[in-house]
Amino acid sequence: MLLINNLSFYRNNTIIFEDLNLSLNNGQITQIRGKNGSGKTTFLEVILNILEPKNGDIFWEGKNIKKNIFNFFNVTTFIMDQNTSTKKLTVLDNINFWKGLCASKLTNADILLLLETFNLLKYKNTKVMYLSKGEIKKLELLRLILEQKKLWILDEPYNHLDNSSIEILNQTFKDHANKNGIILFASHFNPSINNLEIIDFH
Amino acid sequence: MMLNFLINPNKFNILADIIFKPLLIIAFIILILGLILVYYSPLDYQQGLTVKIMYIHVPSAWLALLTYAIMTIYSIVGLAFKIPFSFIINKAIAPIGAIFTTLCLLSGSLWGKPMWGTWWVWDARLTSVAILLIIYVIIIFLNQTFESREVKEKTVAIFILIGSINLPIIKFSVDWWNTLHQPASISKLSSPSIDISMLKPLLVMTIAFSLIGLIIAILRIKAEILIRKRDL
Amino acid sequence: MVFLKKIFLFIKRESQIFFSNFVDLCSNILFFFLSIFVFVFALGADEQLLRTVGLGIIWSLLLLSSTLSLRKFYEEDFNNGVITIIHMGGMSYELIVFFKIISHFLFVQIPFLASIPIASVFFNLPIIEVYNLILTFIIGSLILSCLGSISSSMNLLNKTNFSIGSIIVLLFSIPVIIFSVGINNSDSNFNNLINLLIGIALIFLGIAPWSSAAFIRLALRNK
Repeated sequence: MLLINNLSFYRNNTIIFEDLNLSLNNGQITQIRGKNGSGKTTFLEVILNILEPKNGDIFWEGKNIKKNIFNFFNVTTFIMDQNTSTKKLTVLDNINFWKGLCASKLTNADILLLLETFNLLKYKNTKVMYLSKGEIKKLELLRLILEQKKLWILDEPYNHLDNSSIEILNQTFKDHANKNGIILFASHFNPSINNLEIIDFH
Repeated sequence: MMLNFLINPNKFNILADIIFKPLLIIAFIILILGLILVYYSPLDYQQGLTVKIMYIHVPSAWLALLTYAIMTIYSIVGLAFKIPFSFIINKAIAPIGAIFTTLCLLSGSLWGKPMWGTWWVWDARLTSVAILLIIYVIIIFLNQTFESREVKEKTVAIFILIGSINLPIIKFSVDWWNTLHQPASISKLSSPSIDISMLKPLLVMTIAFSLIGLIIAILRIKAEILIRKRDL
Repeated sequence: MVFLKKIFLFIKRESQIFFSNFVDLCSNILFFFLSIFVFVFALGADEQLLRTVGLGIIWSLLLLSSTLSLRKFYEEDFNNGVITIIHMGGMSYELIVFFKIISHFLFVQIPFLASIPIASVFFNLPIIEVYNLILTFIIGSLILSCLGSISSSMNLLNKTNFSIGSIIVLLFSIPVIIFSVGINNSDSNFNNLINLLIGIALIFLGIAPWSSAAFIRLALRNK
């Protein structure tokens, strides 16, 4: 479980958030909701140690993540607002790169099946720059399943997705939560997920 | 601490307010004195009247180097101990150093035309000073470039540190390479190879130049502190 | 073992990006040849003159044309966030920078080598100078890759002043060009200068990962 203790962050001496306490238990889906510019993305980046908090600590399974950051990265998948797929490479090249990076145990048949469910199989040898925005986002979300990590942190996962993809994404979230995974995402969209914990940012 | 004004903007402001007017008067008096001394200084038996360019050329060269050395020290202090005042000083005094370097190059060029027969030669001393000018200009440009203040200050400080390799090259270029530029005359303070009648006006002019530089620096640093306070 | 595989994958990805971008490199080389032509037209076709200035011209034009592509060093990876993902995959930023420099050296600078003999034919350079030129360019281009890494990581958040990165690279490549061209002077010691160049390259291979990683962290924090 992820424990956040008295976390504060200042940018240019203005408070973004202060004294934030949060605990994410296994099997819990949490959404961060808030206006544009309320610091949702900043909060996620502070958790991932990209930004330095002013004070406060973050614990993963009882250990401070600052001291063993790579152990924490080892269990975390981070889906950014931007698309991390390389535009000049084909879909399969991108997937193989991600797969090697996290030492995933999925076989090629699994990956083809995965592409089939996301409706991307016909593009497997197409360069990413020829895909539409929604398809690039779906490719990005493939990383969730590919990396097989316990903690999922997502920034605006619902952008550019059509209704059927949103259904698939929600189902994926539920499956992961049932397998004792932890999900934390920032979005202003209201997804239809039961037992959704909501944190409001203002 | 007596030297707190070197790292604390408030203390600096207080001290600057006290010493500014006396400094202005002293600088004016010394400058007039220096110009009178230069007027009555002896002519060189080879160079004639043109030797008087030296009284502008040498002080501005020294101050160009001194300004860069101060910036280097403040960059180390600022990066190592995270003192924001040092970044303020870096930003404030870079144009002053650039002006002194330009003055040095221009006066040297004017001096070189009658003496060497050309405005410019690709000599080690001249080239390294020209590179110093380019480094100053890059620092000024970098100060205008970035939106985020933290990025700007740290980038400039690191760039100043890398560029400080040039200082010893300028200093020793006349010893390391055979150059047209004459070697330093006043490096050995015990027995300078310059006559005392020329040394006196030169030192007075150097003091006058440094005081003028200090006055401009105080004004610029105070303005920079105000800008920074407004942004916070 | 897993770690070595990650490094291998990283370099493989760089090579894939490079080959999808092959035209870009070819235009750099074309730029190099065209500027040689411009120089020759400007100087006139005096064979003796061209032979004396040839080496200097080739070196400075190599420098200019390889700075053309330096802006793309980190820009794309930084803007689409891949650099964070690779970092989360278990590579520190220093390591990423180091292998980025190595792959830039392998896939962008080394292809320039092929163009050097052709370029020296235009100037009728003696064979010993061509040999020296190739040797010094191998070392010098490694230094250039390091400089490019430093200057482009410095300019990640710079959205207004694009040419300052190239200016900084040119500024710090002055010693490289002094020693590389000086190697052909009859009164200079070949071994000393080569050792000096290798020394500079090693120093930069030490400095560049450290400083570029610091700049990348700074940029990520202030994005």
